[in-house]
Amino acid sequence: MATTPEEIIKRIWARVRMKHLFPELPIPKVSEGKGNVALEMKSKQITINTAFSDKIAQKMDMEDVVEALLDHGISHYTYCPWDFHTHLRLFTEAKRVIKDKELAKRAAGLFMDVVADTYCVKRRKTPLPDLYKHLEGGKVEEVITSLYQKIWGVDLCAKEDEEVVLRLARIPYLDKKQWDKSIQKFTRVIKALLELQEEQDRQEDSQANPMGEHGLDGYTLEEIDRGLRDFANQNVGLKEFKETFEDFKDELKEVGYGMEGGMGRGEGSPLDADLIYYMKLAENYSIPIKKVPMEKRGFLNPHSHSPWEIGRPFQDVDVWTSFGKIMPGITQTWNKIEGSTFGERESVPDCIIIIDSSGSMTNPRKNLSYAVLGAACASDAYLRNDAQVAVYNFSDAPMGGKAILDFTSNRTKIYQILCKYFGGGTALNLNELDPLLETSKKPDIFIITDMKITNLGKVIGYLSTIDNRITAVYIGENTYALRFREAMEGRKNVSFYNVTKKEDIPKIVLGKIREYFRGNL
Amino acid sequence: MKNPFDDFRDHPTTEREIPLDSIIQSRNRVMSNIIRGYEMLLEEEVKELVWLVQYNTVIKAYTLAEKAVKEFDYRAEDIEEFCYELDSTDKIPYLITGPAGIYISALCNYAQEEEITLKLSDLKTQINLLGYRLPVGKKVVVEGNLGDFTGIGMEGGELVVEGSAKNYTGAGMKSGRIRIMKNIGLHTGEWMMGGEILVGGRVRGLGKIVDGKVYEDEKLIYPRNYRQSNTYY
Repeated sequence: MATTPEEIIKRIWARVRMKHLFPELPIPKVSEGKGNVALEMKSKQITINTAFSDKIAQKMDMEDVVEALLDHGISHYTYCPWDFHTHLRLFTEAKRVIKDKELAKRAAGLFMDVVADTYCVKRRKTPLPDLYKHLEGGKVEEVITSLYQKIWGVDLCAKEDEEVVLRLARIPYLDKKQWDKSIQKFTRVIKALLELQEEQDRQEDSQANPMGEHGLDGYTLEEIDRGLRDFANQNVGLKEFKETFEDFKDELKEVGYGMEGGMGRGEGSPLDADLIYYMKLAENYSIPIKKVPMEKRGFLNPHSHSPWEIGRPFQDVDVWTSFGKIMPGITQTWNKIEGSTFGERESVPDCIIIIDSSGSMTNPRKNLSYAVLGAACASDAYLRNDAQVAVYNFSDAPMGGKAILDFTSNRTKIYQILCKYFGGGTALNLNELDPLLETSKKPDIFIITDMKITNLGKVIGYLSTIDNRITAVYIGENTYALRFREAMEGRKNVSFYNVTKKEDIPKIVLGKIREYFRGNL
Repeated sequence: MKNPFDDFRDHPTTEREIPLDSIIQSRNRVMSNIIRGYEMLLEEEVKELVWLVQYNTVIKAYTLAEKAVKEFDYRAEDIEEFCYELDSTDKIPYLITGPAGIYISALCNYAQEEEITLKLSDLKTQINLLGYRLPVGKKVVVEGNLGDFTGIGMEGGELVVEGSAKNYTGAGMKSGRIRIMKNIGLHTGEWMMGGEILVGGRVRGLGKIVDGKVYEDEKLIYPRNYRQSNTYY
């Protein structure tokens, strides 16, 4: 009969997976860890601490210990928190009640434990109650065990603060729709206990939750990315997003979120909460781009085969006709010739984004700026189509209030310039656009402003002389916008959009003026 | 075509009944009774259009509230939860602080428990009139701040506020004790006829007190000659 946790896992894993309706999790591992933490979950990998399981196995059957720990870990994965977005949501609600971020994280972790374990006890056959009967912990853990005793109806030999347990027992843990309210109630009740325990932990330097803390280790980078996107889109304001992001900043860094590149030295660029907010929010909007007919580029197309010889490049090897072998005489390589195609291929040109960051515009780092969000959505749309984006961020450009980014496909760099806020006067230095217009082949122009530009006349004059596609987006309604619109109305290469609320952004169609180009070609 | 879920038909997924289910059911039932009682009170009081804290209005509202709360059983935790339900306003159509305070006072006065603790420090709205007619043998402890007319007409109970209270605290109280840990507003003890008000912080102003005692930071400030009624300091 298997006795070590490793052997037990091998034997029971199939049954445990079946019990939980086949979650997509790798087979759990064991580690010879120290301390009182029972298990940890990193990127979906459950690892059971043998020091803990051996200790508990003195009081109950080892197989039950392992199964209970697996049930606990899997329930977190299949029910609560389920994803990173829910984790963030629960943390934010807890922090509304308890201002300290560490305590809020702890409260959210305990709430998730109660929900996941209660779900498991109600829906599955599990030895979890037995485990809790023998679990040792601080005052908070004792209260939680008393709560389990009350709400599961199992004797866990717990006798803790009746008043606190009565309040905790009234929370509808299994009602997902009420989790936001429920965690607030939960945190309110255990707030004093958490503060007390934090003080004790500090003095005794002891470990907190024996069932493991709920850090970001459990999520993959994609899950974190998706969670942040959903969180940004969940009607949280910039301030709240920033606050929550800052609370998790160190952990995000630890798991490698937002780190670009690979090898190298030196400190990485700091995670910018504002940038991430606009990035995640922009990912929820998809702005369509009208493609334009572009000239042939003379691509080299595979034409015929010839035997490969030593010294010839590998990238031309045709693996299908070479039987997977690199051997002179057998291996075939492609001979390439310049293709001649008929007709026109449609593609997306590069884009120059001109964004107004003068004093009349919203500061994107304080409040949600529709201008930045609109420009971010536009830049994403071009980048998605393999085009490049240049940015001209202006306030009082002739006086130096400007930031220019040459054509690039580096999204972070683009967002960094888009989020820059000068907050001064409003004037464009039009000559500075010329080099950008010359660099790329007839790039689109996307201008987003409230049109309160001091040299608006010159801007109108300049834009009237160029035949690039121009998408002009103005924020709010005013006489300047009306003047710009009236002056440019006749031009077929210009399209106008007014943005007064977030929901107006997806209505923008970039480079809508198709007929104009047909006429010109 | 084969149903792909057929393979899982025999899979054991039976749910077991746990005490949490009945606790939640009972809590929901009690909460809907409390809310219904409050709505009944509001239906009557809304006819007045503007709710003024006048002797007759308060008595009338309290009589209605008493009648409503006597009809169902509840616990101290239900009262606290009701305060948060009022605050969130998604279940209850509107919060009129006058009738709400009277209703919560009636709930406290008729609760089974002798001592009730209400953790209200996270409420967005301050409740007025809490502690109205708190009878002998009852103790209400409030964690958080309260609004105007706290503990008016107290009848021998003990009201502890672990925070501050606003104006007209203890107005018309007959007996009992009000302990405010922090500060208190104007007209404290207006027409007070007995009992004690103990304030840990500052008393902003005293009302026209008939009888009783008021302490500020453990020092007796009423009865004493040098402080005039409604003195602002």
